[in-house]
Amino acid sequence: MTTTARPPVTAPAKNRNILSRGLEALLTQRIVLLAVLIVVVLVVMLSLDVGGFLSGSYNADYLASSLISAVPLVLLGLAQLLVIVSGRGGIDLSVGSIVSLTGVVFGLAYGVWNLGFPASLLIAVVTGIACGAVNGVLVAYVGFPPLIATLATYYAFRSIALVVSDQKPINSQEIQDFYSAAQSIELPLIGGSLPLIPLGIFTFLIPSVIVVWLVLNKTTFGRRLYALGTNDVAAAWSGIDVRANRMAVYAISGALAGLVAVVTVAQFASARPDAGTSGSGMALPAITIAVLGGVAITGGIGRVSGIVLATLLIVWLNAGILLALPGNDGTQFQLLALGLVLIFASLLNGLTKRKYGGI
Amino acid sequence: MTTETTTVRPTARRILPPPVTGQEFVLTGVIVALWVLLGVFTPAFLTPGSIQPLLVSVAPIALIGVGMTFIIITAGIDVSVGGAIMLCAVITAKMMVTANLPLPLAVGLSIAAGLLLGLVNGVLIAYGRVHAIIITFGTANLFQFFALRVFGSETVNGIPGTLDVFGRGEAGRTLGVPHSFAIMIVIAAIAWWYLRHTTGGRHLFAIGGNANAARLAGIRVQPRVMVAYAVTGALVGLAACFFIAAGTSTLDQAVGSGRELAVIAAVVIGGTSILGGRGSVIGTVLGAILVQTVTSGVTQLGWPSQLATLFVGVFIIIAVGTDLLRQRVRAQP
Repeated sequence: MTTTARPPVTAPAKNRNILSRGLEALLTQRIVLLAVLIVVVLVVMLSLDVGGFLSGSYNADYLASSLISAVPLVLLGLAQLLVIVSGRGGIDLSVGSIVSLTGVVFGLAYGVWNLGFPASLLIAVVTGIACGAVNGVLVAYVGFPPLIATLATYYAFRSIALVVSDQKPINSQEIQDFYSAAQSIELPLIGGSLPLIPLGIFTFLIPSVIVVWLVLNKTTFGRRLYALGTNDVAAAWSGIDVRANRMAVYAISGALAGLVAVVTVAQFASARPDAGTSGSGMALPAITIAVLGGVAITGGIGRVSGIVLATLLIVWLNAGILLALPGNDGTQFQLLALGLVLIFASLLNGLTKRKYGGI
Repeated sequence: MTTETTTVRPTARRILPPPVTGQEFVLTGVIVALWVLLGVFTPAFLTPGSIQPLLVSVAPIALIGVGMTFIIITAGIDVSVGGAIMLCAVITAKMMVTANLPLPLAVGLSIAAGLLLGLVNGVLIAYGRVHAIIITFGTANLFQFFALRVFGSETVNGIPGTLDVFGRGEAGRTLGVPHSFAIMIVIAAIAWWYLRHTTGGRHLFAIGGNANAARLAGIRVQPRVMVAYAVTGALVGLAACFFIAAGTSTLDQAVGSGRELAVIAAVVIGGTSILGGRGSVIGTVLGAILVQTVTSGVTQLGWPSQLATLFVGVFIIIAVGTDLLRQRVRAQP
């Protein structure tokens, strides 16, 4: 007879079979779920391709070239991640308008005033930051609910972009030549064996992802954001300058929107004053990506990897839908897919919260 | 079990807010000032030929705004109304073209379709326990998808004039008052009374103030919330008829696009708190009038029409900003 104490209460987890543990991981770890869903999409699409149901080939080249649409999605998804994580109902509806306005400013700087690329890029980012700072002041210092502040600035920036540009896109020769920034390239050294990858992935997407990941996980500012989003009264009592930090988040969101504006100008070879606001705009897909990526709308929870995987899922799903249903049908069914995925993801968030507690 | 009390108690006035709030007086003042200014600078503004179309354009926004006020009072939001307008309008228009529906059937069909869409939102939000903005972003996509499928990549042409009683033309007015505007006023009045003087209405405020406390106080939160979305859906259905009537005999795919933000802007300018628990239908109607006055005023002054949205944005900031300021002053002892 031994006198050792009984194992701690957490032990039952060990006895559970692999199936129920797998299910828990699938439901509670958004990353796992997204990875599984990406594999499912790829397998389904590839088997449709083999079966000859697609109008084009769903191969590595196609997947790589479709990544060009991932660049704005990831950048704006990261912007929403930062803003939503900062809590107090954080959300940024104005990103699409900031993209439009900054795109026009960049178009003027690069295509009309001929300031050169580095200066124009700087001007674009600074414009984005200025727009975001307006949101930040309204939300953090005046106390506007973020939904209202960014709804108001959505209207205002959209209007300014259209009025400043006289509703005409800027497509001077410089801007048209800038299209080369959106082309696909072959990687040096190992590139021969890989498909061509859009340049924007290396110039904008990967650097932004790394920087935002570092900021969120390795800096005091990033950890403060999570504290702020979890409980901003407690954060204030622990000595965090809640207002300054929250304001900074909206400014960063504006900066990311400024980068997206540059990418969009390159992609369309034209600075369109409605680039970010035409149709249902750019904010809605970005918020969808954030929610799908496991960002809790109540703040304090969210990861960079979730944003990246959610974007890959949406982009590759959309690319597959376009091949399966060419033309108008394809774009319409993309709406259906986006809506269903969003509702499914948010219902799942609710379910896991009740079943396991937390996401 | 109502919250009404006798006038003897000194606290009686505190239990019900005043019938018309300060924000609404200010809004009325701003609208009157705008109308006078516009009348001075463009003499054509203060004529029936200009005011009547303005009131016709206010009607659908204010009508949906009434429902949206209910929703926002419960601390929810519905960004799918744009998609819902599109779906209701295209179904009704298609049925009118193919079956030449009489007026009551066309309106009934549109309202029934809207009610169904509102119920989808309501059930998902109330019983799925998911944040309203996320779910309605999702259903907005779904509604748009179904609407585009019904459109079938082309406009609906040759819509019969059955709905002209809600339109801008002579058929749409009695004694100079547009029918759509009159209907909106009647519904807004009923909603105002419901919110202020019935148990159900006060429950909505309680839910928005603190849903958990409301539940512990015995309010059945989930059905109430669901009904708020369903009512909004039905009003969207009716407003869709107004949108069909506002056009000529064709309906294009841009119908309803961006309207959700115009409606939310009207509600917010009207003094309803996006955080829930506070708001009024009168404010919403005034907000809708203000937004449409600015839109029509900018065009009549000959300014670029895109400037209108800048003014709407500025008005949102001013309206909510003064409200925040007033609360801060009131909070200080």
